[in-house]
Amino acid sequence: MAQPTTNRELTVGVGAGGLATADMVLNIGPQHPATHGVLRLRIVVDGERIVSAEPIIGYMHRGAEKLFEVRDYRQIVVLANRHDWLSAFSSELGVVLSVESMLGMEVPERAVWARTLLAELNRVLNHLMFLGSYPLELGAITPVFYAFREREELQAVMEEASGGRMHYMFNRVGGLKEDLPAGWLGRVAHAIAAVRSRMPDLESLIVGNEILRARTRGVGVLTPETVAAYGVSGPIARASGLNIDLRRDAPYLAYAGLFGEGGPGRVVTRTDGDCLARLEVLLEQTHVSLDLAEHCLDVLASLPQGPINVRLPKVLKVPEGEIYTATENPLGFNGYYLVSRGEKTPWRLKLRSASFNNVSVLSELLPGHLIADMVAILGSMFFVVGDIDK
Amino acid sequence: MSGLVPGILKGLATTVRTMTKPTHTAEYPDAAPELPPRSRGVIALLEENCTSCMLCARECPDWCIYIDSHKETIPATTPGGRDRQRNVLDRFAIDFSLCMYCGICIEVCPFDALHWSPQFEYAELDIRDLIQEKDRLGQWMPTVPPPVALDEHSADPAELAASNKPPRAAGLVAGGRPARVARPAAAATTAAEPTPPVEPMLPPRRRGPSAAELVARASDIAEQQENGGEAR
Repeated sequence: MAQPTTNRELTVGVGAGGLATADMVLNIGPQHPATHGVLRLRIVVDGERIVSAEPIIGYMHRGAEKLFEVRDYRQIVVLANRHDWLSAFSSELGVVLSVESMLGMEVPERAVWARTLLAELNRVLNHLMFLGSYPLELGAITPVFYAFREREELQAVMEEASGGRMHYMFNRVGGLKEDLPAGWLGRVAHAIAAVRSRMPDLESLIVGNEILRARTRGVGVLTPETVAAYGVSGPIARASGLNIDLRRDAPYLAYAGLFGEGGPGRVVTRTDGDCLARLEVLLEQTHVSLDLAEHCLDVLASLPQGPINVRLPKVLKVPEGEIYTATENPLGFNGYYLVSRGEKTPWRLKLRSASFNNVSVLSELLPGHLIADMVAILGSMFFVVGDIDK
Repeated sequence: MSGLVPGILKGLATTVRTMTKPTHTAEYPDAAPELPPRSRGVIALLEENCTSCMLCARECPDWCIYIDSHKETIPATTPGGRDRQRNVLDRFAIDFSLCMYCGICIEVCPFDALHWSPQFEYAELDIRDLIQEKDRLGQWMPTVPPPVALDEHSADPAELAASNKPPRAAGLVAGGRPARVARPAAAATTAAEPTPPVEPMLPPRRRGPSAAELVARASDIAEQQENGGEAR
């Protein structure tokens, strides 16, 4: 096994020894086992080393923004949870939060806490997915089964409340679709405890594995300057030392209290900026999210009896105006720029999705690396192709 | 290399530990999964409840519901009485190859003709067979589970809240909205409350259903009964 050396200038492959070599253009994707989804990379390689890389996107473009314009705000929720199918709840949330603030609507407190709880569970689900799939790309088959067992545990409670396993469709303008089932809070607490108790297994399989560490440490180092220049956000930005998290910096829902003094929330950062740091941020964030979810459960159990949504008029029209709402989705900033002209459909609903920026930085990140490391870097950017192409 | 032997031992210990645990997976076709009642598997149609008002077809985000109906005149039962008109449903079909399983049709149905069922085993070899006509949709009805009991902190059902309300002129607007009760509680825990938007663009009274809106709702139901006929 290769030693985790910082000197990766070993002459590998053809063209070594002073022979003149021609650059080769290599297509990775759109259908390729090393990329998840239909992301295509056009890389120019000199031997085994990448000279330049260009992510070519759009194979999954579905015109979500244009579709938003001809749908009312309930129908938009259906579409909004689909561009990033691993962060469905958080994406729904952005839409309804924009509409609510445009309407000046006050959301019942129980809805606020239930939404926070579900958003955090969604974050855990998302992170578990990547914690399972990333080792898979590096050749480790086992972790994905551990990750999916935990996902199953949480998906069961999500399905019990919302009816969906991935596309929850549980947010409505003014709250949630319907109230939580009786005894659900207890089952969530049980699921969280089960996931938490088994997380060390998964952890030791991933970051405790020396092969994985060797393949990720010092690989694909992303500097904070590049992060800022490309608008990279989420766990990837925090792994490069950027201490930024919208849950704390621009709190929505109940996050102001959770990330405030004495709250269970904390922003996880690393300074290395390599693949391993990105993975570690994801792992630690999973623990933080479980803490947050547990706190939400306690609050929900102590809240007085009350509604979980607001009764809406039959035709919901948003007053004229515009607003930008950004939420901290599991993969990074997810923003909606809503322009309304007083109709029941938005005049424009611009979607700023996290993965687009996170993948754009690949052209900066990949050059100079070996092809074998490309897979490690690509996997560590934690993207969903639907979120790139919208 | 130094970590090789302890590494192998650790691996073997994990293997032995895992062997002693029961399996986590289920042999699906033999063991049916336990699905919660809210699970969105298939849409069941209770044909008797459908007035072919077209609300579901209109609200569907990808227009995968097909409804045909015609009007029938029921002659007056008493001499000198008025003839009555009734919508008769000819066709009700859902194209499950287009359906996004959002449940909006079920939510908007004013007469509870549509229901979710957790059944999911209706895969077909030909995509055209995924269009289920009303007889097929009706066959799902026996599999619809009763709605789940709600959390103990949930608001009282609208009927209960309305019946508990002291009778007065404004009682019509009640509809079970104890939103006012939540206010002081919210103020007590301001630390955890998101800051309210700086400038509400609507006066707060617009939040609930106004009297005018209730009238509109009533007329909407009247209107949709007419619409059902026009749908032909």
